[in-house]
Amino acid sequence: MAESTPARASAHDLELVALTATGGRDAFGELIRRHGSAVRGLLRRMGADGALADDLAQDAFLAAFQQISDFRGEGTFQAWVKRIAARLYVKRWRREAKTAAMLLAADDGLSTAGELISDERIDLDDALKGLPAPERLCVCLCYGAGLSHVEAAEALNAPLGTVKSHVKRGLDRLRRRLAPGRQFSPAEADANG
Amino acid sequence: MAERNFEVELGRMFAEAPAMGDSDFFALRVDERLRRGWTLRRTLIGGMGLAGGVVGGAQILGGGLVERLGRATTDAGGELTGRVVDFVENSLMPQAFPMNAEIIWFAAAAAAAAIAFAITRVVREF
Repeated sequence: MAESTPARASAHDLELVALTATGGRDAFGELIRRHGSAVRGLLRRMGADGALADDLAQDAFLAAFQQISDFRGEGTFQAWVKRIAARLYVKRWRREAKTAAMLLAADDGLSTAGELISDERIDLDDALKGLPAPERLCVCLCYGAGLSHVEAAEALNAPLGTVKSHVKRGLDRLRRRLAPGRQFSPAEADANG
Repeated sequence: MAERNFEVELGRMFAEAPAMGDSDFFALRVDERLRRGWTLRRTLIGGMGLAGGVVGGAQILGGGLVERLGRATTDAGGELTGRVVDFVENSLMPQAFPMNAEIIWFAAAAAAAAIAFAITRVVREF
């Protein structure tokens, strides 16, 4: 895989995907360079440590390479790979038989640090670390990987209602931690979105 | 409304990729695994092809095909034509393929390929 060239660096993701589909590994390398950090970052936010996040991100890109013809361009390439990576992470959890017990646990594992720092603004990574594991996983699946509640429930093999309640509680906690006392105005949201 | 705005804001925060300085190294590692996968696949396919070739060759030699062909090519005129027709009728037509060692070997090779395909699918799924 050669280093990024100006031509490849300026190419649109869809062009690179098309080149990859014809066997262009160099084009795929450019896609990895562009989106690798985002995929690894999502996995870390979901709870994977650095090494595991890197391994799973590699697996996700390998899977994406093998299934590249399945990518229809309906969403972004990054979102597509993130979904693959998130599902791989969940699959790993399920294989280790942790998910079921974790999802049934009420608020076990809640970080007290998250509660203690609720009077100051923190960033998303810190706020996620303060969530109980089930809420963190569900919020990341739905807002980080873009899965619907139904898709997240299927991936987790958990009841839809359980996933919805984890997401809701997780959002409530995140809102309090990310911006205590702050209202997210439509204008700000539009400007940021 | 505030809840919806927060969800939009949260989506935006998730979309902000954390900066990682080793993007090139990461891409190289993925490429290395891709290359390794292709090498393994090529080796496997090549090995299976070689084994199949050896088995097929052995069966052909053991079945006296070369000898029959040799006899056919040494005969002349109508004799040659007759032998070729005879050879085709006896060796290539479907009804000339009873359940013998060749058929069993070919079936075994096909089954092995199918099992290998199934295993790769299972490994990919799980």
